[in-house]
Amino acid sequence: MTEKCFDEGTIQAFLDGELGLELVDRISHHIALCDSCALAVAEAEDQMEFAFSALDTEFNTLVPTERLWTKINLSIETEAKNKSIWHSLYALLTNPSSLAFASLVIVFGLFVGLYGLKNTADNTMLAKTAPKPKLENITAISNSPVKNPPSASTANDKISQPPSPVLMAKQQNNAEDFRARKVVYVETERSPIKPDSNYETDIVYATENLAAEESYIKTISTLEKTVNNRKDEVLNPSARFAFEKDLAVTDNTIENLKKEVRKNPKNEAARVLLRNSYQNKIDLLNSLAEKTELMASLN
Amino acid sequence: MNTGNIYGKFNKILCLFLFSSFLILASSGSASAQTVIVVPRSEPKPAEKPQTPKTPENHKPPTYQTKINTVSEKSIAVSEKVNISVCVRAGEVKVNGWNRNEIRAFVSRGSSVGFSVLEKGKTDKKPVWVKVLGYDPAKESESRREECISGKFIELDVPFGATVNIESRESKTTIDSVAKASVKLLGGDIFLSNIPNGVEARTYRGNVTVKNSGGSMTLDTTNGNIVAYDVSSDEIGDAFHSKTNSGEITLQQIQYRETKVNSNTGSINFVGEILNGGQYYFGSSNGLVTLVVPENTSAKIVAIYGYGSFESENPLKNLKRDENTGLKSLTGTLGGGEALLNFKTVRGKITIKKAD
Repeated sequence: MTEKCFDEGTIQAFLDGELGLELVDRISHHIALCDSCALAVAEAEDQMEFAFSALDTEFNTLVPTERLWTKINLSIETEAKNKSIWHSLYALLTNPSSLAFASLVIVFGLFVGLYGLKNTADNTMLAKTAPKPKLENITAISNSPVKNPPSASTANDKISQPPSPVLMAKQQNNAEDFRARKVVYVETERSPIKPDSNYETDIVYATENLAAEESYIKTISTLEKTVNNRKDEVLNPSARFAFEKDLAVTDNTIENLKKEVRKNPKNEAARVLLRNSYQNKIDLLNSLAEKTELMASLN
Repeated sequence: MNTGNIYGKFNKILCLFLFSSFLILASSGSASAQTVIVVPRSEPKPAEKPQTPKTPENHKPPTYQTKINTVSEKSIAVSEKVNISVCVRAGEVKVNGWNRNEIRAFVSRGSSVGFSVLEKGKTDKKPVWVKVLGYDPAKESESRREECISGKFIELDVPFGATVNIESRESKTTIDSVAKASVKLLGGDIFLSNIPNGVEARTYRGNVTVKNSGGSMTLDTTNGNIVAYDVSSDEIGDAFHSKTNSGEITLQQIQYRETKVNSNTGSINFVGEILNGGQYYFGSSNGLVTLVVPENTSAKIVAIYGYGSFESENPLKNLKRDENTGLKSLTGTLGGGEALLNFKTVRGKITIKKAD
């Protein structure tokens, strides 16, 4: 052998095809003449064959090339640009998670709507049975000179009048506005407060009056329903005339006293007389109801 | 077929299914308030022919017309403190107490009369609860049952200790010398006297007059006057209540520590003594309230007279008037202020006069 033998790395590179043509030619001539190099090449080939057979499953996986990935991304971008709004919307609607959320919102909205309608119907019935003077009383009382609560010296103390629900909703929605409004409330609380105010007493008076009047009004309305159905059968014309006359006098008295109470809610005398008049009306209606019962028992 | 296409179609079907189910839910929620119950139709049964009842032999239809010469009389032995219930359709009713333990019923120009014993005494087995009927159960059959008596004159003689309960449509009722009386009339006047243990009189059109009686008293008329004189309480807790809607109430020598008098549009006149420790209430919406009391009357006065006025011949002590708030009121004291006089009127005039 005239040429020097090649090292193991060169032999491996020769087998991997990583050498130039000239060097490959030289190594080929050398292997043909050198037994040791030929043996080394054979051993290297055996090792490569063993390694490839062991890692065969790993090497056979289809891994897309860089070019393939680029092509895929490009096509996705193009498709995304060409998609219409309706297509996007359809995709959103057909998305199961978004559809489930939308269905929950719809069901919740239906329940809220039904509950709100039911409450509106109840309030309408109450408005029909409850007479206007009750609301006027509330208005009169609220318009009366209301003094500030006695203890509101600190900023964290209770507000003299609770904020309306609409106002509170706006406050919650907008944090900045909420802070601004809070400042306003704090400033009003700092106005001078008289220590001997009758604010709470006024509220107690008003609440008790309304509760008492409401019970009388309820009783009267119940009795009137019973009486109106039967008075034509029970009363002859002269008795009917007397009954209606007495009822008109009592109603007139009640109206005048209501005006007096509205003018001055603290007038104890007016309240006492008003309750008395309500009782008189109840007695009058009751007498007709009892007469009906007596007629029924005698028949 | 591509798996992507299959997935897309499945997605579409699922979405349509969910959407339709929610629509069904929404429609069922609104329809739940108007549930319609569908009743399965059933074939109508053929109408059965009504069976004509067989008339019994010797059957006579009931008659309720009064006969001119008809007089019915019947009597029954009873306990001394018997409870008597009477229903009167029409006629003048007179109830008298007598010293016999017997009820005698007399009906002139009207229905027949009979008795139904509802309860007997445990010891002497004598009737303690008797109902006076408009027919004689011993003689007349059940088909002719008419419980209420009707006639031109109806007279009952009852023991002195009897309790009489009368309900009537239209009648003038007079009760004298029984222990206790309860009268309810649809129309007609009531006269009660010498009833010591309690009176309840109610008429919806007529006057009520009570004298020489005692016990708890309730006198009520809707359109009529009330007159009570020389009546007094039998026991400490007895109360006197009188009420009329559009009539006058006249009270004289009323001896009750709890007295409540109310006339809606009529006037009230009270003459007599105010008992110490008594509570008296006089209310009239539009009528006059006049008290004639002795000069030495001792009572605290609380009067709310609205748009009316208040006068007193007896001087009031500690007088406080409130005439600035639209509706007027006052408080004051007569003498030592031992009783309480409470007046309420909206437009009436309250007057306290000295008795001669």
